[in-house]
Amino acid sequence: MDHIAKLSGQQPCTPSPIEGGRVAAEKALTAINPAAYAATRNFLDGAVTRLSPYIRQGILSLDEVRNHALSIEPDQKKVEKFVQELAWRDYWQRVYVAHPERIWNDVETYKTGFDASEYETDLPDDISTGQTGVACIDHFIGTMLETGYLHNHARMYVASYVVHWRRIRWQAGARWFLQNLLDGDPASNNLSWQWVASTFSNKPYIFNLENVAKYTGHEVNTRFADNRVLGYSYEQLNELLFPNLAHMAGDQHG
Amino acid sequence: MADLVWLHEDALRRTHPVFVAADYERGSDTQPVFIWDVDYFGENDIGLKRQHFIYETLVEMGAEIHAGSMHDILPRLVAARGVTRVLVPATPNPNMLRRYGQIRRALSDIAFDMVDDTPFATLSKPADLGRFFRYWNKARKSAMRPHGG
Ligand SMILES: Cc1cc2nc3c(=O)[nH]c(=O)nc-3n(C[C@H](O)[C@H](O)[C@H](O)COP(=O)(O)OP(=O)(O)OC[C@H]3O[C@@H](n4cnc5c(N)ncnc54)[C@H](O)[C@@H]3O)c2cc1C
Repeated sequence: MDHIAKLSGQQPCTPSPIEGGRVAAEKALTAINPAAYAATRNFLDGAVTRLSPYIRQGILSLDEVRNHALSIEPDQKKVEKFVQELAWRDYWQRVYVAHPERIWNDVETYKTGFDASEYETDLPDDISTGQTGVACIDHFIGTMLETGYLHNHARMYVASYVVHWRRIRWQAGARWFLQNLLDGDPASNNLSWQWVASTFSNKPYIFNLENVAKYTGHEVNTRFADNRVLGYSYEQLNELLFPNLAHMAGDQHG
Repeated sequence: MADLVWLHEDALRRTHPVFVAADYERGSDTQPVFIWDVDYFGENDIGLKRQHFIYETLVEMGAEIHAGSMHDILPRLVAARGVTRVLVPATPNPNMLRRYGQIRRALSDIAFDMVDDTPFATLSKPADLGRFFRYWNKARKSAMRPHGG
């Protein structure tokens, strides 16, 4: 790490526990379980693959990963969910190729009842350092800063908190994620932020504390007293977060 | 003809078709080149943890790492090694494409080729990219077959 930091003229940091290289990538590929993935992927301790840093850097191609998944699971129906998730990456990459300007610009207007100009443009320090005072959000941010990886559901929670609770433009959060994730990818990351924000989806993505508690294990603090701003029903949250709008549904996974 | 494979952070593996396209029979350098350009890393928000991950990968795959600006290093390598063709894995990244275009124009007597990765899914018509499921409904059949075939 010292050598890299010197090459890049920066202070060294602790490397991610996720190892680079094709050998480590193939080891992670061998460990995937597409059938278990389909049933558990929304849970923080579910059978997600952690292949994203390898796929993003092209150490493994989507084609290789899909071929392997099909070859180890005789029931092709059980592989479909996993292949569909790989397809999300293919889809975002196609959008990137066809419309590179969408990476940093709103694809559509916000469907939150607010104009883009009503969102802050800078990310506050309490968010970038994981000291928001919302226990589960700080936990997720800490995981990302320490390991360079975050489970998909936790990425959705953090992005939603940043954009909808704190009313910060998705671009500020997206840049911060890119800088800290080993799999930081302009298409998958920025367009997912736009999906959460509602500038590339039909409605904003929100969640509540009950949902976090359902999908996380004991290591995440989901006590109401430590996460008050999340401790509401979806109906209440919609009124609080989007006062200019009529009612909407909440977490699609809930 | 001497080929040089110029890698970037989107395609760090030996099974990429760029290596099939390179003509190693005729004495081309089999070591791919990666230019450690800190301005480029900064422009692309590639933080230190990720740089470390990329570095580990490059070392393992036996790539040559040259620190400096892409605009300085690549022409120097091409001249020093009598390279006649530069092969680059395809990328959607405008920051990489801009540098590629500028360097290509500056080295007008050298051939440059961008080589596509193996596809994940093949679509008969251009995809409707308005929403994921419009794309997926068209891509599903191909995506669920080995090699997308
Ligand atoms: C706000 C936000 C930011 C994100 N930023 C990135 C990013 O910078 N880079 C990135 O690769 N993914 C990003 N994703 C998508 C997804 O969260 C990660 O790909 C996934 O969590 C990586 O973990 P995994 O390898 O264990 O995934 P698995 O669930 O095991 O999936 C296998 C592979 O499929 C692909 N994949 C799965 N889900 C998605 C998805 N929704 N979008 C795109 N590809 C997907 C990835 O390549 C992943 O490695 C983001 C999602 C959100 C909500």
